Amino acid sequence: MNMDARPDGRRWMGVGQSSTTEPRTAAAQAARSALSRSDSAGTDPKLLIVFSAITYDPALVRAGVRDVVGRDVPVIGCTTRGEICNGGANDGTVVVAAIGGPGFAVTTAAAEDVRGRQREAGVELGQSVTEIPGLPHRVLVLLTDGLVREQEQIVRGCYSVLGASVPLFGGSGADGWRMKQAYLLCGDRVLTNAVVAATIHSEAPLSVGVRHGFRTVGEPMIVTGSQDGRIQTVDDRPALDVYLERLGAPPEAYRDKEALMRFALPRPLGLQRRNGVDARNVSTQIDLEGRSLGGGGNFDHGGLVWAMTGDEQSILAATDAACQEALAGLGGREPVGLLTISCAAIRAILDDDALRRDNARLAKWAEQAPFAGFYAYGEIARARGIHGFHNQTLTVLALG
Amino acid sequence: MTSIGGAYHDGQQLLELLAVVSECSDEESAAYAAVERAARALDAEVAAVVIDDEVVAVVGFPAGRVPEDDLVSVANRELDNVDVPGVGRCDAISADWGGGRPGHLVLARWSDQGFSVEERNIVRGMARLLELALTMLRTLQAEHEMRERSDRQAAENAELLASLQQRQRLLEHLFDVQRAISRRRPLPQVLDMIAAAARQLLGDGAVGLWLRDDSDPQQISLVAGAGLAIDTDLETPTMPLSEAGTVGAAIMSGGVVVCEDDSADGIASMAAPVHDSGTITGGLVVMAEREGRVYAPPEVQMLQSFAEHVSLALTDANTVDRMHQAFHDSVTGLASRSLFLDRLSHQLELTGHGGTRVALLFIDLDRFKAINDTLGHAAGDTLLTITADRIVAQLRDSDVAARFGGDEFAVMLQNVSTPVDAAKVADRILRGLHEPMRIAGRQLQVNASIGIALSTHGMTDPAALVRRADIAMYRAKRNGRGRYDVFADEMLLAFTDGETQH
Repeated sequence: MNMDARPDGRRWMGVGQSSTTEPRTAAAQAARSALSRSDSAGTDPKLLIVFSAITYDPALVRAGVRDVVGRDVPVIGCTTRGEICNGGANDGTVVVAAIGGPGFAVTTAAAEDVRGRQREAGVELGQSVTEIPGLPHRVLVLLTDGLVREQEQIVRGCYSVLGASVPLFGGSGADGWRMKQAYLLCGDRVLTNAVVAATIHSEAPLSVGVRHGFRTVGEPMIVTGSQDGRIQTVDDRPALDVYLERLGAPPEAYRDKEALMRFALPRPLGLQRRNGVDARNVSTQIDLEGRSLGGGGNFDHGGLVWAMTGDEQSILAATDAACQEALAGLGGREPVGLLTISCAAIRAILDDDALRRDNARLAKWAEQAPFAGFYAYGEIARARGIHGFHNQTLTVLALG
Repeated sequence: MTSIGGAYHDGQQLLELLAVVSECSDEESAAYAAVERAARALDAEVAAVVIDDEVVAVVGFPAGRVPEDDLVSVANRELDNVDVPGVGRCDAISADWGGGRPGHLVLARWSDQGFSVEERNIVRGMARLLELALTMLRTLQAEHEMRERSDRQAAENAELLASLQQRQRLLEHLFDVQRAISRRRPLPQVLDMIAAAARQLLGDGAVGLWLRDDSDPQQISLVAGAGLAIDTDLETPTMPLSEAGTVGAAIMSGGVVVCEDDSADGIASMAAPVHDSGTITGGLVVMAEREGRVYAPPEVQMLQSFAEHVSLALTDANTVDRMHQAFHDSVTGLASRSLFLDRLSHQLELTGHGGTRVALLFIDLDRFKAINDTLGHAAGDTLLTITADRIVAQLRDSDVAARFGGDEFAVMLQNVSTPVDAAKVADRILRGLHEPMRIAGRQLQVNASIGIALSTHGMTDPAALVRRADIAMYRAKRNGRGRYDVFADEMLLAFTDGETQH
């Protein structure tokens, strides 16, 4: 083993999880565990990131975390469609990731009332990013309210201020698929209709990876009619019907909303881009009457789309690729930890056993390092180019 | 396939750039929208618009840290890379436009390989469209300002007003054209639409679009027009490029050619070259109605705008054609073998765990070879096309038909419960195919043999199902042709024992 590549003790990450029913106790247990599991025994914590099941009262979760760390330690967090950490259950828990040590510094910010001014909110958070001498590596971690639309505009706003100088990473807070209200934590506040952000400054590289685990089926289709960002027709026929035909959907998916949602969730619509195909979830904005398709951002007239499908094998392959990409950016160092944000929709493909195998795959890549994250309504990862908001992906932040 | 999809994506990006920019109300926001769109289209970190040695819009640098001098140097071809904070040194390219207010579109991207030829082409295309859009916005802005002045002043500027109104009409026409392209209206319709708009706005006698012949690039053919004495739907005049006057000169020179003193008949004309995927493939020409016609600079620019839209339409239509060809049989238009197997593989995966099954019909025409040999390949192709149409006529939208090559066809039926369901479809196909066909002036009657196989629980290999249907088809042929047979396991045994020939 190359000892030089090992974390040098100036930076640490710890992860804790609790499934205790009482929210305040659960949060406190998870936070305490995150701080005690690191090599450095939680000294000098710089940031706590909280991923909490929607079943917990977010105000009590916040209070539980505060029972463990003082007001001087920044905290961000969100509610989820499931929590991710090594070896734990994926539902009904609180997961806390803590980072600290003199090699890290963190500042946090929040943009509120973002609906209708997503881009401006992104600009505000971009402007909150500073530089700290001696800590040359930075990443902006964003947690958003997953029920706010046009989230790519938030990322676009950040990019307009930061350019390519800072990688972006994060995800959209979820509400256990209820589609009513997700919550965010920032310091001592519980927010909705907001975006919370933490800039992590580090002595060592911070690297982002992203992949989706879906493959195209058949030939591409051309968007021949679109309105308000939704696809009305492809190849001059109703978009929904062509999509269902291509994928050989059962008859009930053509007429029953629940059946259609179940069918579409693991079968995204692929949007052709220059170097590949982006996957978009079309299961949340069902339109049985108008037979149109939509979701995950705008679809433009004339665009090229594909029916897509995935299985456990293709998703595990994407997990491998995303981890490899993130770890490759550490320049040969071993990570102190990984943050992993995955799309809620892949849970329609991976049952509990498969989720455990996916977790084991993450653990394999993390080696000795801890990892934590959640299942999100959208993922943020921008390391190259301008594009940073994703659907149906696994995004990984490797902290060197 | 990604490369074909990528090529399509490139063409689409031009239209989307125009669509995004045309939603903007002023030059500044249009330039900013354009750089974001261009960076997205090329997966680039940096995009900038440089006009008069000034960076008027840029994305990719931290606020307040834009290396303006470097970007201007890239625009002027003095530098081919730029340092991007957070990324490092990036390859940079620039595409220019001329006209009243020359400018540059600059792109920079971190990559191992730099920008490809296709990418440089798309950046050039974007620059040309950006010029068009920015010019229009500037003109509209000037018009808006003028309308705010007094009536008296406006009257004094009546001529300018008229020209601005013409610009407005140009804008409207071009947006109609863009919509028609992105809605995939048939190419001849789009080209005629452009020719008619050019004729109306330039107020000239006739407009013609000439394209180089695929087989002989020294010949050009008239493919669309307006105000012409001939109907291009009915006839396609051709002539040698060297004798094609103004349009020939535009094609050969690659630039706009204006001919105001044509000694042959005293009628002025001008022509602009049109491109397909970056290569000059023809020219758009306008001919004056009256003697003494002089073309003003805005009219030259207008012709260029129309020629640019012809290029967009041609590139787009050909990319769609190429894409279609990659997945479909060129004779019948049915799915290709590889596309069919891909769809079949997915369907097997989907039904592997459910209650319904997939049925595969393997269809082989009887006597195809004899018809092909005696009546010729053209007759053979007609037979295949008619067969394909008759097979498709018996299917639901969700079923897939393919030509596997030669006289073999395959059909995939989704959501089938029993062999009887598939047999009904096979029976309809047989009856449809048996109807007389008129081929090469003769009345022909063909038969087909069909093998049917249904997926079994847990079957995931499409080749296994195709093989079963194939075996059943041989059995049908052996049992007397013009019939179908359903695969049974014992056929497999018989087949391996030597029943391979019919």
